[in-house]
Amino acid sequence: MSTKRKRSIMDILDDYFEELEEKFERWRETLIERPSWNQKACEMEPLRYVRVTPTEVIVTVDLPLTKENSIQVKPVGRSTIEILASMKRKVRFSDFGITHHKGEFQKLHCQLRVPVPVYMDKMGLRFKKGILEIRLPRKHQYTIPIE
Amino acid sequence: MSEEIKIIEKKEIPSDAIMLFGFPDVGLVGVIAASHLVEQLNLVEVAYIDSKLLQPLIVLHEGLPHSSIRIFGNHNILLAVSETPISASAIYQIMDALIDWGKNKKAKMMISLSGIPIEDRQDAKELKVFAAASSPEMLKKVQDKGIETLMEGYMVGPQAIMLLRCAQIGLPAITLLAQCFLNYPDPEAAAEVLKGLATMTGVKVDTAKLLEKGEEIRLKARDVMKRTQQEMSSMKKSQEYDIPVYVS
Repeated sequence: MSTKRKRSIMDILDDYFEELEEKFERWRETLIERPSWNQKACEMEPLRYVRVTPTEVIVTVDLPLTKENSIQVKPVGRSTIEILASMKRKVRFSDFGITHHKGEFQKLHCQLRVPVPVYMDKMGLRFKKGILEIRLPRKHQYTIPIE
Repeated sequence: MSEEIKIIEKKEIPSDAIMLFGFPDVGLVGVIAASHLVEQLNLVEVAYIDSKLLQPLIVLHEGLPHSSIRIFGNHNILLAVSETPISASAIYQIMDALIDWGKNKKAKMMISLSGIPIEDRQDAKELKVFAAASSPEMLKKVQDKGIETLMEGYMVGPQAIMLLRCAQIGLPAITLLAQCFLNYPDPEAAAEVLKGLATMTGVKVDTAKLLEKGEEIRLKARDVMKRTQQEMSSMKKSQEYDIPVYVS
């Protein structure tokens, strides 16, 4: 086994800070309580799940009441994906029996971080039973040789 | 009953009832199924839990406060439902209190409704229902009804404690688990677990409405699912995927 390419100190520092930022973001998300909706933007935040396998990262997002042709998946930088989808119909707080908030929602929107390096440009998408599945092949930049 | 947990009765409690449990867990299968049972069978609140072990939280329904863990019922069914996940540290005491109470009320059988997550759930054409039982007799009863049983493995959560406690006190009990999503509300799996319940007990409900409203339920249940995920993680729910070392 051999090293595929040498990494510069800047690459290593970039990765280090990116990793720190991700850890901080994960920590922040566990500490800060916030609603799963944004009244001003008329958006709800969907549930999502990220699974890392040895070869790829599989992201699933639960998008109920969504129009399939409205789903947009955009890479934001090297490790973030933004997902936006329009709903088949407007949903109001009153539909859930809530009367102390006013507002209606017509979009599902979220951003999520991918925890390991991936090829964003090789993203594969599938939508089935209201679940969006995003498959991202992992980048293995180097291997450690066995002495 | 533990002094820290009181079960306050609001109505007369029937004897010889089947006691069901629908608590937040994978796919929210139990809670969605329980909510559908309450609606379809017109079950009314007969009792509720009052305990400082629970989160300082009430549920407002039609402007009035309710405990997050309530027992609904009719002449032959008791159904314990929690509208918010129970913390790992309180599960033992809550389940003990509910089981002791059910035993005192002469419940003839206890059945927990829950889920078992599968990979690629969205590709599954049919969802199987499995069962685990508290005794060899119950295991046979389940198998005789054609429901597959879980023979080896770990089970984590309220349904696990329910089975063990019932086994200890000799109360017939089973846990029904429908294949489901791990982290997403799964009304389709709830419909399947209700079919399993009908097979076991004859308690039948129409699940068409549950499937029809599936997408709305998924949207509405996001927040409870998110909090349930956090509790599942703290109680190491993923251990259910582990392969056990069988000690004979």
